[in-house]
Amino acid sequence: MELDVLKELGNIGAGHAATSLSQLLGKEVNMTVPEVKIREIRNLFNEFITDIVAGVIVALQDLDEKKSGYLYIMFPEESSKKIANNLFGLGELDDEMYESTIMEVGNILSSAFCDASADFMGIILLPSPPSFAVDVPAAVVDSVVSQMAKKSDHVILFETSLSSDSDIEIYLALLPEPCLLKDIMKIMEQI
Amino acid sequence: MNSKILSISNKSGKAVFLTKRDVLVKSYCSLSSTCPSRDYCQSCDLIDAAKNYLMDGKANSGITTLDGELSAGIGEYQVRKKVLLEAMGLGSCVGVILFDMSTGICGIAHVLLPGASQKGETKYAETAIEKMLEDMVSQGVRKSKIVSKFAGGAQVFKHMNLEILKIGNRNAISVEETLIKYKIPILAKDVGGEVGRNVIFNPVDGSMIVKYTKGGVVWL
Repeated sequence: MELDVLKELGNIGAGHAATSLSQLLGKEVNMTVPEVKIREIRNLFNEFITDIVAGVIVALQDLDEKKSGYLYIMFPEESSKKIANNLFGLGELDDEMYESTIMEVGNILSSAFCDASADFMGIILLPSPPSFAVDVPAAVVDSVVSQMAKKSDHVILFETSLSSDSDIEIYLALLPEPCLLKDIMKIMEQI
Repeated sequence: MNSKILSISNKSGKAVFLTKRDVLVKSYCSLSSTCPSRDYCQSCDLIDAAKNYLMDGKANSGITTLDGELSAGIGEYQVRKKVLLEAMGLGSCVGVILFDMSTGICGIAHVLLPGASQKGETKYAETAIEKMLEDMVSQGVRKSKIVSKFAGGAQVFKHMNLEILKIGNRNAISVEETLIKYKIPILAKDVGGEVGRNVIFNPVDGSMIVKYTKGGVVWL
């Protein structure tokens, strides 16, 4: 039950992120059917692609500044270059411009995600400013996982991907804290 | 067996080759930073030695086969003999290796958090090292013979807006303090930086092989 509701939250959030991406790029964006899974932390290495990706991590908080979870938006190298070039229409971007572009795209997508969860489900999630890293996802996500590992041996993963024109692909992962699940259930009971 | 793991060392350098059906699938080479063919191995002393061995199966000097590879998952440790030990995809995590060359028993831990656990959870640095140490001693290693190497604890975020993500440094410090506390000599370490690592331990010569996720291999 909790997982179904989480899937719905992710679905609505990711759907709106897809719309924002579509508006940003002026292109059609498709979203894959999302998946929710519970995984043991020790096996987490196998859950992610092993390529280097540009990644943006945003922490989500509720109104009491309690951590609700994390959004991790992954841009494979080719896609991130395409997106940056698409937005600027330039051939070559310097590193700094490219990085801040991807961070801003991550910011826009996570804000769309949070807006949707507030509008449609009444769940308030406030995104933190984005943090940016280029590396293999396993190495990026371990500092987030370490936060969750203090309380549990498992993590819940909501995953989906957004794609456009067959050459742009973005992976989106939501790692909720257990309290987010509780909050969702509380709100659902009131309806 | 279809897959073989060879550890080769000769005058020119050292390498570990992972082969499947006599085809080279992966290599960790101590010469890779100066090697003209980079990761795409073509031909050199080391490769020729490996090929000869695979063809005639004769044990040459400087070639040792290993009994497989084993990876420690996040927050786990593994203790084995004659097996290539791995801790993959380390960002803020630290790969800690304890080994004893006289018995050949070695262990690797994939440490996720600094400090110790009340419940004996091996995701914490201190607890992981303690348990791995106990495990090795119970398998017949004299504690005074154990030495250590470790790598990891990077800070992969280039633009960082969350304090809690700065955990790599704390992990590395916690590992080092624990090793000092248990008087285990530290033979090599490679910590910090901005790049993720894969840490591999070759039990044949006790080298820690650090493969950076963005390319580059060092033998320590």
